[in-house]
Amino acid sequence: MMQIELNKIDQIDHLMQGEYTFFLRERPGWSLTVGPQDLELVAHAMRVLLHARTTPDFLDEYLSLVDCQAQDGGWSPFSADRDSTVWVSAFCGLMVIRGNRFLANEVLGQSVQKSIDYFLDTQKSDGRWVDPSWADLDTTSHPVSFFNVVMALGEPYRRPEVLRSWERGARFIVDNQGADGGWYDEEFHPSGVEITAHLIQDALIADLAMDEQITGIRESCTKGAKKLCEWQATDGSWDEENVDHTMDCTRSLMVVTRLLDDKQGEETILRGMRWILDNKNASGWGDFPDMETNLERTCDGIDTLLKYKAYRSIDSQDVVRLWGYGP
Amino acid sequence: MSSDSHAGWLEVCPVAELPPGERRLVQLKSVEIALFNVNGTIYAVKNRCPHRSGPLIRGFIDDTGGIKCPMHGWRFDLRDGSSPRPAHATVYQVKAENGLLYLQL
Repeated sequence: MMQIELNKIDQIDHLMQGEYTFFLRERPGWSLTVGPQDLELVAHAMRVLLHARTTPDFLDEYLSLVDCQAQDGGWSPFSADRDSTVWVSAFCGLMVIRGNRFLANEVLGQSVQKSIDYFLDTQKSDGRWVDPSWADLDTTSHPVSFFNVVMALGEPYRRPEVLRSWERGARFIVDNQGADGGWYDEEFHPSGVEITAHLIQDALIADLAMDEQITGIRESCTKGAKKLCEWQATDGSWDEENVDHTMDCTRSLMVVTRLLDDKQGEETILRGMRWILDNKNASGWGDFPDMETNLERTCDGIDTLLKYKAYRSIDSQDVVRLWGYGP
Repeated sequence: MSSDSHAGWLEVCPVAELPPGERRLVQLKSVEIALFNVNGTIYAVKNRCPHRSGPLIRGFIDDTGGIKCPMHGWRFDLRDGSSPRPAHATVYQVKAENGLLYLQL
């Protein structure tokens, strides 16, 4: 296979087209219109549609996602179930609100409001959200991320309560940062890599795109991004050649360093991208080098390519928009 | 040993190929199995994490006979597959005889 040159966006585009075609060919594996699915995978697929700007062609997928929303406004990890959990609910709610920017559908709008109700109802008194399958800090980053977009898009429903909840969630994250800039969870994420990548890109950095309403977030993100750069292996990967975590760290640094106006992360991003491209299968990506392709990782790979293209755009805000933090 | 005493056991590899501290991925009857030699004790566990299918062969072993999935950190006891999370890993019985390692699916 020809080696892709990272400074030639037409080559990145060509690669992306091929991967997107593969992704569409595999639609029965992620589509709710063909039967019950793992909703985290569905949300990964919808993010590809969103960032490939093909959302308007897939209204049926969004309506199917709303169909499996539980009465309390959340979602279950599997579409056929109705026991809501926070982690996957945040992924689904985020896809619905972001998709509805392009679809302007009333049913989706009502679903967003139910999601807001769900997250306001499930937050703990210290600001965290809890999901037994994930670390509390990591779990908390996702409703905060959902509320970031709720506020960035000007959704007025229960606005004062959303603002208070968002601040408490973000504060919980900032207050639990390690002195070295990383976030750690002894049970789930002792290395700190994945959780740090999630927290700065999904929860905290949006505040810089929304007039810095919470003190300390700029410093927190600066330290977190620096720590991510330090953690990168010399071959460009993170966490023992973990494809998922390397994609997350690379994408995280794209949006965080862009909003911090920090040029020092660029070499780290390029090394991460090089490793990701060098460890791609003929179609898609696996969880580690030489492992078989899976759909979730392939969605992450396509998303990484789309975000890299935006990161290299002349308009410095292009990459920020792919997190839903800008108009 | 007679062949009868191996009933239900599948030969995996020579014991010498899995010294202490080493790990090995094998496939038996289409099942991916991760083998670990932890301080001289050999454990076998289905390679795919019951959480989100992370490859346990890449997991992190601790001193108390546990393994953490490399994807999302779920921990499983290699002796019985138990976990503090809402899941259970599939573990397999292992025995060594005449320098060979056997496993029961």
